Amino acid sequence: MSDHNLAPTPGDRATTFFKRNDVRRTSVIFILWTATFTILGIWLYPKFMPRIMSKEMLSAENIMIWFTIISAPIAGIVLALATNAFLNMHRGDTPPEEGPAVRTNGPVVVIWTVASTIFALVAIVWGIVELNVQSVEAAATSKSAMIVEVTGSQWLWTFNYPEQGIETHQLNLPINRPVEFDIRSVDVNHSFWPVQLGVKVDANAMVTTVVRTTPNKLGEIDVKCAELCGILHAYMETTGAVMTEADFDSWVSQVQQSGASA
Amino acid sequence: MTTLVTEQHARPVPNPKKSLITKLNMGTGVILGALFAAITYYLIRHSLQTITDGAVDPLNPNQNDQLLIATMMAWSIGFLIGIGAFIGPFRWLIGRDLTAEEQLYLAGDGQGIKRYFKYCTDHKVVGIQYLVGVMTMLGVGGTMAMMIRTNLASPGSKFITPVVYNSLVGLHGITMIVAMIIVATGPFGNYIMPIMIGARDMAFPRLNALSWWVLFTAIPVLCSAWFLGGIPTGWTAYAPLSVQAGAGMDAFLMTIIIFAISTAVAGANITATVVTMRAKGMKWNRVPIFVIGSTISVALAIPAFPTFMLSMIMTGMDRSFNTTFFDAHMGGSGWLYAHLFWIMGHPEVYVILLPGVAALMEIAPVFVRKPLFSFNAAVLGFAGIAGLSVLVWAHHMYISGWANNLNGPFMITTEMISIPTGLIFLVLIGTLWRGKPWMKLPMLSVFAFIWNFLIGGITGIYLSDVPADNYLHGSMFVTAHFHFTLMGAALTGAIGGLAFWYPKMTGRMLNERAGYISFWFVQIGFNVLFFGMFVAGAEGQPRRVADYAHQFATSNLISTAGAYSVGIGMIVLLWAVIHSWRHGKIAPMNPWGSKTLEWTVPYPVPLENFDELPVITSDPYGYGKGK
Amino acid sequence: MNEVKGGEELSTGRRLTSGLTFLALGILVVTGVGFGLHQASKSPQSKLYATVNGTTDVPGFGTLKHAFISESVWPDVQTAVDNGAKADRRHPWPFYGPASHFVLPAHALVTVTLKVYDGGEKLNHNYFAKVIGTVGNTMTVDGKVVDALAPDGVQHTFTLHGIPTSTQDPLFVNVPLPVADPDNKPGSFHTVTFSFVTQGVGEYVWNCEYPCGDGTYAKFGAVMGAQGYMSGKVSVVNV
Repeated sequence: MSDHNLAPTPGDRATTFFKRNDVRRTSVIFILWTATFTILGIWLYPKFMPRIMSKEMLSAENIMIWFTIISAPIAGIVLALATNAFLNMHRGDTPPEEGPAVRTNGPVVVIWTVASTIFALVAIVWGIVELNVQSVEAAATSKSAMIVEVTGSQWLWTFNYPEQGIETHQLNLPINRPVEFDIRSVDVNHSFWPVQLGVKVDANAMVTTVVRTTPNKLGEIDVKCAELCGILHAYMETTGAVMTEADFDSWVSQVQQSGASA
Repeated sequence: MTTLVTEQHARPVPNPKKSLITKLNMGTGVILGALFAAITYYLIRHSLQTITDGAVDPLNPNQNDQLLIATMMAWSIGFLIGIGAFIGPFRWLIGRDLTAEEQLYLAGDGQGIKRYFKYCTDHKVVGIQYLVGVMTMLGVGGTMAMMIRTNLASPGSKFITPVVYNSLVGLHGITMIVAMIIVATGPFGNYIMPIMIGARDMAFPRLNALSWWVLFTAIPVLCSAWFLGGIPTGWTAYAPLSVQAGAGMDAFLMTIIIFAISTAVAGANITATVVTMRAKGMKWNRVPIFVIGSTISVALAIPAFPTFMLSMIMTGMDRSFNTTFFDAHMGGSGWLYAHLFWIMGHPEVYVILLPGVAALMEIAPVFVRKPLFSFNAAVLGFAGIAGLSVLVWAHHMYISGWANNLNGPFMITTEMISIPTGLIFLVLIGTLWRGKPWMKLPMLSVFAFIWNFLIGGITGIYLSDVPADNYLHGSMFVTAHFHFTLMGAALTGAIGGLAFWYPKMTGRMLNERAGYISFWFVQIGFNVLFFGMFVAGAEGQPRRVADYAHQFATSNLISTAGAYSVGIGMIVLLWAVIHSWRHGKIAPMNPWGSKTLEWTVPYPVPLENFDELPVITSDPYGYGKGK
Repeated sequence: MNEVKGGEELSTGRRLTSGLTFLALGILVVTGVGFGLHQASKSPQSKLYATVNGTTDVPGFGTLKHAFISESVWPDVQTAVDNGAKADRRHPWPFYGPASHFVLPAHALVTVTLKVYDGGEKLNHNYFAKVIGTVGNTMTVDGKVVDALAPDGVQHTFTLHGIPTSTQDPLFVNVPLPVADPDNKPGSFHTVTFSFVTQGVGEYVWNCEYPCGDGTYAKFGAVMGAQGYMSGKVSVVNV
């Protein structure tokens, strides 16, 4: 980089700013980083996250994708400036020449602060809106919801279906029927996590915590414990499935007859 | 920077009387500590036998807990008496104070290597003690991390059993958290900071020695946790699991109680020093940014840690006296514990982060030869983070179910932290802009920090959003996120600080080639390690599991490979530090051409740092041309 | 200024040697720690191999290898020794003996015979009073067929489960064990037998769901949090 870049005269700054070599190079790097993060956001989470089987799961994955995309330009600026500086590196045992004595730049600080505030606001508003949508839906479906009483004990989950009068260690649910999980623990804290449904809530002793969702895809679900609960915490897992109403009914009657699920 | 003669310091000739003070050292401390512990153990055991008319019932965990807690307390107090920590207060009790000679003796004047094993009040000695202590802790914690990753290399938990695994997770957590809290403020805050502000020592030199030796007494206590059956709870020690846990838990909670005392003492001391002992002319806007960052960090720790201590005292009472603070069956609440813990726990991560960031902000201007970009933004960033950090604790409890309606407000405060955090990035990249960074080890850390903290920051935004946290909470994603901030950002900052201040602390340059090798092994390994973990978390692997389903095998194997690379890099760094201490290139007084005060004193730094106290006329960032 | 202690700078060769030696030592130390932990992890997990003896027809599964395994549940070491069993547990706690790690053949009918000597009381969670996952969802107690116990008359449970994965078949067995009342009649016991079918190869765990960690929260501390007493592993392998 040539020396004249280091001390632009104030007058022609605005017009020549984007013609400066370092600015151009930084802009190119900015575009590359922004694109990288955008692609990462679009590719990474849909590729690796489990199947989306409820609106809650969709909302979680959307947040991860979109927040990556929204923050890509900010990451791009930071990384572009850092990369540019890195490429300008000075090596050797003597210090480099003195840089420009810029102590601050009022407009830059203000623009940066405003931009990061807007970014924070977007995240906040997004989250609040999602929360609100979820709680409105949960309230709307609370009357019609099928109740499943989930009990966490060291180190197993069990599920009581009061309407059907069965109790199992497998979480099977009918599709498109709102479900209300009433969760409690008989001992220490656990955390009930039906992974593909994208909801999670702690199981506490003597308190019932509630979480609602509506499974909207058929398929297997994994149920895990997400709160360290003692030596076999890792093994406090079980499976289940979202099935058609008919399949669910026949499973229920099978369990009712045998007294336990296979 | 101009220095003027303002004060001549008359130094008395060292002539310590052969009093008790000269006889006390770490050895007498250990002896008295062990003696106190043994006596207490037998007295309590005996009295418990008297109460229960017979042998202590090994099946009664309460009695065991009472016995152990009392013994550990006695060890700590005995050690401190044995090393002479209470000589000063004792003298005051009998109406006298230490004589000038004794004070000088306590400062370790002319005692060579021995002073590192004594109750030494010299801030530079305390700094080195902290440095060695921190490196030991990081080594132990890192070894445990290797064990954890080895077990997770493939599914089936084939390497160790879940009991051993859970203990390792808990001990790795607490060892690293303790080490990281003191990693920058301990060595650099004690050794460098007083010189940086032009002071002869800390405001309370004896408290300074106390903070280190109190912390030291926690080390055997923490180690004993392993032999008492380990801690199955992770470092968060959630009740009621912690109430259920075995005797190792008593060691854990005593460690925290002792550590909280140490932090309170150190925090009050550092804050008082910076507020009252700055050199003439060092107005607040001329204070080096590292000093500002560290002070805000320790000032944040002062209100934060007592709640942790309190939660541990309550856990101890639940365990040993059958109180029911956290037992929901008896009217207590586990949520109470979670609140007390996280009211400490979230400020605590910024207590860890800020000094590391501040060290890098100190480094960047020196190596870019430009002034720090927007000092005010840096201070605002630190202050904003510190202020907001006490209002966000319940984001760790979004899914606990304690009050779903409060998730919204806590989400707002949490996401607002991205604003002051943005200022920190601005200061660093603003300083870099149009500079030619001198690619020495400390400067490399600045770049690594920017990348790591960016990743940690963005993933933190997902976690702060409740609907995403519903999925991610308690998964490996969280583990990867906080390692990116605590290790990738804060530890990188501290290592940068070590490379930067090493010449002043040892008189020699840190071996550069080893430093570079270590840097790339650690940083590349670190990113591989935790990218693998991000993926495992996104796939749905819970954290703190000894075993996992087969679909997570690939990401876990990649993580483990990265972990081994970090391990190798850290061993190389440890070699560089040890080797260079003895055989490194002799350092000039100011190898980096920095303008802060610590580079104006020679090595070895004289006992009271300055012959003549400096007077400050500008801030230390007057680099660059065209002022 | 020249008071810097220590030696001279070393030549590049010696520095390299020193560095590499240190690296090797460091790796050796970490490996040593790992080896030690691995050894410490192994000892209480002494393995018990099922003995295969002929084949059996199981309705719904066809003809399977028939494997047998015998285990006891002791209230403490003394009772075990009094009844002629070998026992070397450190703590005075109830335990499964002789082993806590069972190795079973894949695609087999496994018949477990448990001699249970301990007393007991009430479960934390009544679900575990039911017999689940065995052939016919039943077990025999001293020869009588039983499909559940009263939740307040259980001494321990044998509860086998694992992490459901894409490559390992699910396996879930829960068997509650009846109280033997050793306080009134020392040495009294029940013989419990049950059979279950293993599928493909996999790693599972078993644990007791009866709260036997007296004096601890939910009675799930102490013995329940130790290895080799009330929990262990189950490996299903190809024989």
